Amino acid sequence: MADVTFVDVRRLQAEADTADVALAMDEDAFRAFYDRTAGALWGYLSRISGDRQVADDLLQESYYRLLKATVPFESEAHRRNYLYRIATNLVRDAKRGTRPLFDVGVEMAEIAAPDSHVDVEGRADVRRAFGRLKPRERALLWLAYAQGSSHSEIADVLGLKTGSIKLLLFRARRKLAARLQP
Amino acid sequence: MTSGTRGQGPEPTDAEIEAIVAEAIAAEAALARREATPPSSAIVWWRAQMRARQEAARAADRPITIVHGLAIACAAGLALSLIGSAIAGVRGSSGWLIDIYHSLSLKAPLASLAAVDLTSRWVTLPMTAMLISALVVTIAAYFIYADE
Repeated sequence: MADVTFVDVRRLQAEADTADVALAMDEDAFRAFYDRTAGALWGYLSRISGDRQVADDLLQESYYRLLKATVPFESEAHRRNYLYRIATNLVRDAKRGTRPLFDVGVEMAEIAAPDSHVDVEGRADVRRAFGRLKPRERALLWLAYAQGSSHSEIADVLGLKTGSIKLLLFRARRKLAARLQP
Repeated sequence: MTSGTRGQGPEPTDAEIEAIVAEAIAAEAALARREATPPSSAIVWWRAQMRARQEAARAADRPITIVHGLAIACAAGLALSLIGSAIAGVRGSSGWLIDIYHSLSLKAPLASLAAVDLTSRWVTLPMTAMLISALVVTIAAYFIYADE
């Protein structure tokens, strides 16, 4: 039997610690993935839920569930779509809870805060119109036009059939356009 | 938005509607990117590690809790059977005492003992209470020393 050095013991200890928590990614890979996706996911969560606080909470939860997932991801896109699917389900569950989603009054005040030269009224109208859509319609439109996702990716995230996305997007677009008209 | 029904000119085409919607959402997405202040990746990673460890510890404790529950259930069952056999034993001993009473002709004191109805609540309730107290003390002692 070979001699065991202190370095070996430390390495084994570190491996045991890592094995205890059993997360799906190592730290470097996770942090790089997080830095690439967190801002966009926060935007998705905040606009689909209509609540910044909910977005903050669900962002952490989404990444935690991704880390605990045992899915063998084929690509970065696959992992990202899975993350958005988790986030979508969390928003759906939060909506069933007690917290009211889409408080337009609060959101309008928040729009004016960052920079005053922007078209505050116009953005409030967009957000109000967006907030009156169904959550699934908001998710469809956001994934298609803010994320640039393909129909198959949207279907994957929302748990729908790819063939139905075109029609659902068409209806959601018309609905939003009708609400945007003065 | 049907053509002519509202008297507001021609209905926008699908392409025009798509352009309007895409522009509105793109502007909203740009705003969301500016508003986004997610916590740093290091903090999120650290919190995930802590939470995963806590969950692992809880999962490890769960079988111990189940074993504790089973032990308590077994002890309760054992106590009930002891109570039953104790009552039966006391009944048996009363018959033996009655035999002694007959053989020794000790009339007055044993007559009163034999007259005691052992199924009466005045006898069974204190006995049951004593046995349950003994059981509770035993379980409490087990948990105290198990922690140590």
